[in-house]
Amino acid sequence: MHEFSLAIEVINLAQREAQKNMAVSIQEITIEVGDLSGVEADAFESALELLVKDSILENSTINIVRTSGKGKCNACDIEFEMNQRMTTCPKCQCFPSKISGGEEFRVISLMVE
Amino acid sequence: MCETCGCGESGEVKIHDRNHNHDHVHDHEHTHDHDHTHDHGHTHTHGHDSVLFTQTHSLAPKKVIGLNLDILSDNNSLASVNRRYFEKRNVLSLNLVSSPGSGKTTILEKTIKALISTQKIFVIEGDQQTVLDADRIEKSGAPAIQINTGSGCHLDARMVDSAIKKLELENDSILFIENVGNLVCPALFDLGEFKRVVVISVTEGEDKPLKYPYMFQSSHLCIINKSDLLPYVDFDKDKTMEYARSLNPNLEFILVSAKTGEGFDLWFEWLTKQTSALISSRKE
Repeated sequence: MHEFSLAIEVINLAQREAQKNMAVSIQEITIEVGDLSGVEADAFESALELLVKDSILENSTINIVRTSGKGKCNACDIEFEMNQRMTTCPKCQCFPSKISGGEEFRVISLMVE
Repeated sequence: MCETCGCGESGEVKIHDRNHNHDHVHDHEHTHDHDHTHDHGHTHTHGHDSVLFTQTHSLAPKKVIGLNLDILSDNNSLASVNRRYFEKRNVLSLNLVSSPGSGKTTILEKTIKALISTQKIFVIEGDQQTVLDADRIEKSGAPAIQINTGSGCHLDARMVDSAIKKLELENDSILFIENVGNLVCPALFDLGEFKRVVVISVTEGEDKPLKYPYMFQSSHLCIINKSDLLPYVDFDKDKTMEYARSLNPNLEFILVSAKTGEGFDLWFEWLTKQTSALISSRKE
C-alpha cells in the first residue's frame, strides 16, 4: 500500500523536474522498479495510473522497467539471478551472502516538450 | 485520497499536540531548525541532466531528460537531516516496527516506568487513528506526540520532522518512534533513526522473517515478545533466528515478556550499548 505514497512522490518529482527544465508537458516517463527494491511493480503502476489524473503526468506514457538482481550463494559461491528477495541458490537452495543490483527504484528519464 | 485502498495523501496526516489539538502536515514544511545540508544516508546516483533534442512532426521540440533520480531521495534527504539533528543533541533515536498487537506499546510502557527516573525519554506514536497510544505513554511518565496517518500505512521522515518540534526534545535523551503497526510499508521509509527495532511475538509463528524479508533485512534488533506464552504455542525461536539471520547476519535478538519483565535486563543493556555507540559515532 505504500505504492500509493510512492506514486505521489513520482508525480511531485515529475512536476519539479518539468518546472526546472521549463517543460510544458511530459510525453513519457520511464521508471525503474527493481525486483528487490521492496516496491511491488504492478501495484505501483496501478497506483500511478489511478493518481495521475489532474497532474502533469495525466496524459503521459508510463514506462516501467523491471530489473532483477544477482545473488552470490552463501554455500557454493555461484551467482544466480534473483527476481524476488527470497530467491535461493538453484544448486543448493541456500540464501545469498551478497546481493547486487535489482534494488533501484528511480525515475530514469522524462521526455518533455 | 485513493479510491481503492483509501491510502492517504499528506493533507490528512494529523500531528497532535500534547494537549491533543492538531496540525496538518504540509508538503515541504521544515518546522524546526535543521542544518539543511542534504547529503544522503544512502548511496544513490543523483541526476546529471543529459538532454537529447529530437525533432518530431509536432512543432515543439521534444527532449529527453536523463534523471536517474531515486524516488525515495526526498524522504532519505529529510531522514538524514533528522539523523543529524538527533546526533547533534546526543538523542538516541529508535524506530520500533512490528505488526499490530506484538506488544510495542506495552514494552515501551514498561521501559519508561523502569528508566524514567534516571533517563530522559520521549516518544513519537504512529497510528492511523486515535491518541490512545500516546495517552498510555504519557501515563507511564514520558512526553509523547501522536501522529495519525489517516489512511496512511507508515510514518515517513517528514512526519517525524513535524512531530519533533512539538516534543521539545532534550539533549542526551532516548527517542522511541513507535511506527504504524505494519510489517510491510515502514521498511522502505528511513525516519532518521539510529537503529531500527523489529518486534514480533511468539504467537505470530516463526516464519515472519521469510514472509517480511525487507523489514528484517533493515532492522538491527529483533525483540521476541510474549515469552510467557511459550508453553502454550508452537514457536521455534531458533528457527526464527535462523530465518532472520539468513537475510541479515548481524541482526541481534532478545527474548522478552512485557507481562513478566523477563528479558528486560538484556533490553536495557542493549539500550545502554546503543547510547555508547551513538557517542562513539558522533566522534567520527
